[in-house]
Amino acid sequence: MDAVRIQEQDFCLQQEVDALRATSQRMGGIVTFLGCARDFSEGRDVFSIQFEQYAGMAEKAMLALHDKAMEKFDILGIRMVHRVTTVHAGEQIVLIVVGAEHRKAAFEACEWLIDELKKQVPIWKKEVTPDGDSWVSQHP
Amino acid sequence: MIKILFFGMIADKVGKQSTTLQGDMMLGDVIKAVGCADIKPLLIAVNQEQVTDMSIIIKAGDEVALMPPFSGG
Repeated sequence: MDAVRIQEQDFCLQQEVDALRATSQRMGGIVTFLGCARDFSEGRDVFSIQFEQYAGMAEKAMLALHDKAMEKFDILGIRMVHRVTTVHAGEQIVLIVVGAEHRKAAFEACEWLIDELKKQVPIWKKEVTPDGDSWVSQHP
Repeated sequence: MIKILFFGMIADKVGKQSTTLQGDMMLGDVIKAVGCADIKPLLIAVNQEQVTDMSIIIKAGDEVALMPPFSGG
């Protein structure tokens, strides 16, 4: 599977880590960020989150972040997966895995990637709550 | 023909996910023509590249996306 992808189906963290480890035996540290759907947000219950993407541009933007992070940080590899579908509370949304010789660069790159993904990748979420649906506008 | 795509809450506001316009025109005029001039903040992509210059000329075959701030992750 591609190292950077957007998909409807769920993903397996261990499979992604193993796929990254298989690319290099020089990795001394692998950092993962796993984003999940919360059942509570902005003071109300959330049943599920519906994701929408600008197909094509979203994947290009994620690939651009991958390439930029590989240049910017002293790391050996990245895997990024984002689901675009209806995700129920407690389910997985996004995974970022970064491998480096040393942990500091892996931690920094992983944090930078999720921060930039929220700002630069055209994906939107709509929360389904007991009071109705509402688009999420902020990216905390 | 210019293709215009609407995403997220902007699609809800205009009541559709896409429309088309005929003829060449400035990006700012495209946004006015589809009734999105007052929407702020508004992110814009032309042929899947983000732009901010409202004076660029949009031509037949171009794809313009009108987007609210991203909220993935």
